[in-house]
Amino acid sequence: MRKLSLTLAILGTTAMTAPGFAQDRSDLRIVDEPVEFTIHMHWPRAQGYGVGGDASKVYPVEEVARELTGISLKDATAGKNSTDSNEAMNLLIAQGDMPDIVGGHLIQQPVNEFGPQGAFVPLNDLVKEHAPHIQAFWDSHPGLQEAISAYDGNYYYIPYLPDGKYGRAWFVRQDWLDKLGLEQPQNVDELHDALVAFRDQDPNGNGLKDEIPYFARQWEEVNRLLTLWDARSSGSDTYHDFYVNDDGKVVHPYAQEAYRVGLSNIAQWYAEGLIDPEIYTRGSSSRDYLLGENLGGMTHDWFASTSGYNAALSDKVDGFNFIPFLPPASVSGVRMEEHRRIPIKPDGWAISHQAEDPVNVIKYFDFWFTEYGRLLSNFGVEGKTWDMIDGEPVYKPEVLNSDSPVNSQMYLEGAQIQRGYWQDYRYEWQWTSEAAREGIELYDSEDLLIDQFLGVALNEAEQKVYDKYWPSLRTYMLERQQAWVLGTGDVTADWDEYIATLNKMGYEDVTEVMNTAYARQYGG
Amino acid sequence: MTSDPNLHGSKTEELIVEASEALRSRKPSRMVRIGDHLKREWQIYLLLLPTILWLLIFLYKPMYGLQIAFKDYSVFRGVAGSAWVGLEHFQTLFSNDQFLRALRNTVIISFYGLIFGFPMPIFLALMFNEILHQTFKKTSQTIIYLPHFISSVIIAGIVITAFSPSAGIVNTVMGWFGIDPIYFLTKPEWFRPIFVGTGIWQEAGFQSIVYLAAIAGVSPTLYESAVVDGASRWQMMWKITIPSILPTIIIMLIIRIGNMLEVSFEMIILLYQPATYETADVVNTFIYRQGIQGGQYDLAAAAGLFNAVVAFVLVMSANTISKRYSRTSLW
Repeated sequence: MRKLSLTLAILGTTAMTAPGFAQDRSDLRIVDEPVEFTIHMHWPRAQGYGVGGDASKVYPVEEVARELTGISLKDATAGKNSTDSNEAMNLLIAQGDMPDIVGGHLIQQPVNEFGPQGAFVPLNDLVKEHAPHIQAFWDSHPGLQEAISAYDGNYYYIPYLPDGKYGRAWFVRQDWLDKLGLEQPQNVDELHDALVAFRDQDPNGNGLKDEIPYFARQWEEVNRLLTLWDARSSGSDTYHDFYVNDDGKVVHPYAQEAYRVGLSNIAQWYAEGLIDPEIYTRGSSSRDYLLGENLGGMTHDWFASTSGYNAALSDKVDGFNFIPFLPPASVSGVRMEEHRRIPIKPDGWAISHQAEDPVNVIKYFDFWFTEYGRLLSNFGVEGKTWDMIDGEPVYKPEVLNSDSPVNSQMYLEGAQIQRGYWQDYRYEWQWTSEAAREGIELYDSEDLLIDQFLGVALNEAEQKVYDKYWPSLRTYMLERQQAWVLGTGDVTADWDEYIATLNKMGYEDVTEVMNTAYARQYGG
Repeated sequence: MTSDPNLHGSKTEELIVEASEALRSRKPSRMVRIGDHLKREWQIYLLLLPTILWLLIFLYKPMYGLQIAFKDYSVFRGVAGSAWVGLEHFQTLFSNDQFLRALRNTVIISFYGLIFGFPMPIFLALMFNEILHQTFKKTSQTIIYLPHFISSVIIAGIVITAFSPSAGIVNTVMGWFGIDPIYFLTKPEWFRPIFVGTGIWQEAGFQSIVYLAAIAGVSPTLYESAVVDGASRWQMMWKITIPSILPTIIIMLIIRIGNMLEVSFEMIILLYQPATYETADVVNTFIYRQGIQGGQYDLAAAAGLFNAVVAFVLVMSANTISKRYSRTSLW
């Protein structure tokens, strides 16, 4: 009885503060009688469908979705004691008993592999007939549906679709440039000069030659310098990925002529001490350390988190001003920002072959693509974490000013979790720092971004070829790459032998199956 | 000593009767004997039970899944539903230069570990045994055991920091003697010494406990009579302590050889770089990159099975050799 009255009281307050509820949203109702579906939801922030992965704590967002649609989700996540979502997915499939909905992190590869074998329901026709909002999204974003399709031409999951374009940017210690009387480097030669000045002219003023001109949290980011010599380091937001060249062929960046030139220059810069000598072992805390100790001069990293150091270090490092600058023009004069947000993530949710009512499941998936469903999945419960002001969803001040980052708060509400949903960039913009916003506007003013390679779906025979050769090829490429940068071996002298070895190891077999699959998938 | 002629005769008779009875009904009598034995000693068998269950559930039952080494395994189709492919995965492995390189590295790293790592705990135990000052003994033992209890991730962090070219203690000390800093963890030629040394530092102390226990079991009367005979401490160590713990040393050696291919690969993953794969990549890290990360469980199972077969052969040979030359063996 007490419990009931408490619930009523909460409902009462919500109703009062949330005019959204007062509106008629009966069109969002999917079923007349309440229906329950089971769900596997495994992702880095929560292993289970419930607050922090605890199934007994229902997400506030889930409560509202239940209210609106009549459908509730019940947790049935496998592999809860592991944080590895791949492992959890394999466990789920191997145990044989699958819930209605399978969702979470990195599901694209398994659903595309096991979907055609019968483990998941193909969504093409279901969406066409029962999910008008998802279909509208595909229609307005050509190419994406093809990108998530399996080799049989069907697609098996509804992805998490990020919004916003920019991810990483070039950052420089503007206060160091000012102190040394330098302008922001506009091309590769000026960049070299600036790094040399950082190395030699003691911009941190401690009398020691201890500055690290270029550093990176992930050693792979040193490869971004390749773009300065018109080479590439990756075709997507995954490191060392294939890309589509100007002839429309899938190739690997580390087997191209431009790479030889680019890498010999990077090796040169490394030998000159312009690149962190410990680039390969310093690890993920290098940004904290090198900025905090006033040692690092330049990096390539995420807009939002890297801009955050300006506020965090303002007391510690006098005059600290670490800001984004435009990618310097390459030797042929091209400004390129290689990294961007991928428009589709391998995360999302799928319908298992054991779902008894796939039609209502797809209608439920569609609910999250309706206007209100999208607001709910992005911002949380209206009236609790945000209000509609002049037609815009605006976070409440207590959400924006909390000690906990907004995304972390959202994860606990059940918003921004890795269901299949379409992210709304207005969510992130509201808590992006002023420095990062300026940087994004700067990047927006130029045409810097390049198309991403969204991957190909290999059939079983192609997958076999890929699995047989690719892991060893990748190992060999990275081995040689590091050796060349570190100065054991010379890329120019070793190049012919390197290409010959790649071919011997099956490079051409791999690109052949990639291109066959690419042509099939994208009609190229 | 007096001898009773009757006793001798009756005992022989008894034996003859028992033998003929056993001949007539061998089976039931043995069953009865086992039953009696179980009834008498059931507490001991009860203690054994959890271990037997553990063996059955975690070591024998999974052997069913070993067949995926010969199958084109799909998680969805299951172990039984996947198609047989014969020795395809083994062919893939042995035609891969990187697997052969990993195999070579595994053997070399294990061999180094055996040569340098195996004697160390014995040496430590003998040294501890000679320390007379109890407080000093306990303190140094505790300090030397400690690294065993630190997680590999932390140990790797310590190693990376210690060998860092800019701030690491090793390069700092080298700097005092005017030696240029070396970026140790990207130099293939340095990987094995660093890895084996780290392993010894982490485990030698803890492994010495077995030998300390063996030393504690040596009868004090041996030392007492040696003292009476005027033996020095050095002589007592060589003539009494080491021969007395030799069976323990042999058993530990056989176990060690059986585990030889099981290089602690989590430590390698934490310490290696593409730049050092040449000397650092072992079978287990190869399996991890190729098999587990790439989702090729069948290939990983094939490599694991190969590992197990090699380990089996190694342990059998070590046991046979030891049986022949020292009459100490596991079975």
